[in-house]
Amino acid sequence: MMKKCVDRAIFLTAFAGVACLASGCAMQPPQAWEKGNLARKEMTMDADPLDQAFTQHIYFSKESASGGYGVGGGGCGCN
Amino acid sequence: MAWAAAAVAVTKPAPGPKRPGAITLAALALPGVMVATARAENAPDEGVVTVKLQAYKDSQPGLERIKVIAPSVHLLLPIAGAWSVEATAVQDNISGASPRWHTSISGASRMEDRRTAADVKLTRYFDRAAVALRYSYSNENDYRSNAMALDARFSSADNNTTFAAGLATSRDTINPVNELVINERKEVSEGMIGVTQALSKNDLAQVNLTHVRGRGYFNDPYKLVDQRPRSKNQTIALVRWNHFFEGNSTTLRSSYRFYNDSFGVQAHTAVVEWVVPLSERFVITPSTRYYTQRKASFYFDPVYDPEIGEPYPAGYSLSPPKHYSADARLSSYGAFTVGSKFEWRIDKLWSVDLKYEFYQQRSSWRPGGGGSPGLATFSAQFAQIGISRRF
Repeated sequence: MMKKCVDRAIFLTAFAGVACLASGCAMQPPQAWEKGNLARKEMTMDADPLDQAFTQHIYFSKESASGGYGVGGGGCGCN
Repeated sequence: MAWAAAAVAVTKPAPGPKRPGAITLAALALPGVMVATARAENAPDEGVVTVKLQAYKDSQPGLERIKVIAPSVHLLLPIAGAWSVEATAVQDNISGASPRWHTSISGASRMEDRRTAADVKLTRYFDRAAVALRYSYSNENDYRSNAMALDARFSSADNNTTFAAGLATSRDTINPVNELVINERKEVSEGMIGVTQALSKNDLAQVNLTHVRGRGYFNDPYKLVDQRPRSKNQTIALVRWNHFFEGNSTTLRSSYRFYNDSFGVQAHTAVVEWVVPLSERFVITPSTRYYTQRKASFYFDPVYDPEIGEPYPAGYSLSPPKHYSADARLSSYGAFTVGSKFEWRIDKLWSVDLKYEFYQQRSSWRPGGGGSPGLATFSAQFAQIGISRRF
């Protein structure tokens, strides 16, 4: 069963990767002088990591699923 | 769980095209692992200190449950142009009541606890790469955790693609106050790979794949009927996509996460945030999140044994199953979160933010009518206030 789950996750990831790459081709990846908008704070994946850590900690303690955003941090007795 | 990092970029002006190489590295910043600046391959050239007060409370009909007040502080310190150190500390002050099986009010037990956690991360920056080492510590009167993490990221020659890899391990010791077990252990190892791609001048996408392997004590010692496997493997795929609208200068941030574990839980999470600048100084960000999970294979519905009664599962008196749990967090349900964040960029050095979210879990929100029966609706509210100062 675990293998099936891993296979499914890999498939989803590969699908997303292919979609991203395909979109990237269609969207024209930016030249060096075109990255001003991408550098905006709100375009970063974790614009406020302290906020995200707090929120993810709550979900970690109240839901079964967790993780995916990065490794490390350790456990706690809340789950 | 990670409590690291801070609003590094809250008051930081967005670098312009003069620094073209950093985009995907910045986007790859992970909670507690990387620095969320827009120039992550370079050491930050200024420090940031952030203080937040975070609050949480939850309830179900007829029962006010848990309240948490959590002051936290974060410091980012650049060193010698090629290094940075981050340190975080948080204290959770927890009180209230929690059901000992399903959502039974009569079975709720009162509790009070204090959790102290600290986290230190050292990052070394290279031309198109960065390597970080992190140590995390968390201590409660009945639970202690020590964790180490190592991650690295590398960008392509055109800096439109960044690859990341991370490894982590944690060692936890569990000593519940009811002495149900003594000096129990849990060991968890994690591995992650990821790629971030600048799709266009307004689109940034990220894909992460994570595998987690855990061994040891996964029971909740405060639940009356809880016997879980001593092995838990998790697989997680995450896709994130941010899009900037040039017409109105707003940003749409979206993500989808697929989760699967060896307990039988399969979950889907979708998040959408819309960052709307009201002026140069004020930004509002409404957000919504949907989550749904399939129950663990050993979770049992509130149908109890006819001989010995609640809270034991039907058939328990004749032949107890190997694994069983009445923890509602392992049931099938759906959940929505709605909220909004407000930021006030006071000047170039100071900023303040406020955030409020409302969360609710319902069995009926599981798609296809597959939610677990007999559970009360669960609601929670989260609030945060923070202030940041660059130096």
